[in-house]
Amino acid sequence: MKMAQREGMLITYALGSCIGICLYDQKIRLGALIHIMLPLNMEPGRKNVMKYADTGIRETLKMMESKGASRSRITAKIAGGAKMFEVSGGSLGNIGQRNIDSVHINLKKEGIHLLKEDVGGGVARTLLFDVSNGLACVRCYGRPELII
Amino acid sequence: MTIKNYDELTNLELDTLKEIGSIGTGNAANSLSELIGQTVRITLPEVRIMGYNEAIEWIGGPEEITAGVLVKMSGQINGIMLSVQQLDFVNLVLESMLGHGVADYLGLHEMESSALVEVGNIMISTFINALSNLAEIEIDLTVPAFTVDMQGAIMAVPMAEYGGQSNYIMTIGGNFICRGKEIPCRLLLSPDIRSLNFLLRKLGVDSGE
Repeated sequence: MKMAQREGMLITYALGSCIGICLYDQKIRLGALIHIMLPLNMEPGRKNVMKYADTGIRETLKMMESKGASRSRITAKIAGGAKMFEVSGGSLGNIGQRNIDSVHINLKKEGIHLLKEDVGGGVARTLLFDVSNGLACVRCYGRPELII
Repeated sequence: MTIKNYDELTNLELDTLKEIGSIGTGNAANSLSELIGQTVRITLPEVRIMGYNEAIEWIGGPEEITAGVLVKMSGQINGIMLSVQQLDFVNLVLESMLGHGVADYLGLHEMESSALVEVGNIMISTFINALSNLAEIEIDLTVPAFTVDMQGAIMAVPMAEYGGQSNYIMTIGGNFICRGKEIPCRLLLSPDIRSLNFLLRKLGVDSGE
């Protein structure tokens, strides 16, 4: 997880089935970018909280609040959750879709409004989050850049 | 002793996995030779257990575009094997099989992609075949899946699939030597933890006995 205030570009590279979650408090211009890999934290010791959608979102929100952000103002933008390979017979779990579902559920549970998203499909995404204005840019191979 | 994570592997267990990597890639090089009709040798491969970030650096950065052939293993071993095909490798294959190379990955059309899938599949199958003969286990393989995209996302596939269990991946790197040129060979093998334990036991390196 990366966090910055007023200025700075937060970047996470090559999201496949992973999801990049931009959380932003517009008023104090505090932004955080989480890179989650899996939908649910089932680790016994819970050492890697930021690796999972549920604990990653919850812990990041707490950290933002401790820096003066208000839950009611924080909004979200997300990108990722792709399916990188089509394995016939569907024997490869569709983790991308499960990540998307979990991020949606957990944002809702925490009362965070999801402003925009670029999720699913079969392409990898690099996500750049500009903390000065809250805009996110999604970079893909063979597709023009997308501002969300 | 049953391990819970790749970083718990003992030196003996690591040496055993390296030996498998070496035999597997040797076989893969032979099948590549037959397929492209040219002599292909391979340098002694380096088999390592790496964290995801280290593996990404090893392969040349997350956003670099590459072709990947993925096969899923099931049966007595569950896991994923990936052949990462960087441009030098792509051109070695295409020039030998189709008589022309490509300037970049955008030049890969149906014919070119099929050739790469075929080569990746044969290399992986030969590798797994050597492994299953050595350990006397049965491994079923899916038909290969293929994509061209950022290598960071391709390499994250086994991590995500088994990510709840492990943050490590087994990397097998060597150089194919063909027509006087050295071309990197990059293979990734990710059995799940239960399968890794089973494999080590079958190979007789269960350190707890």
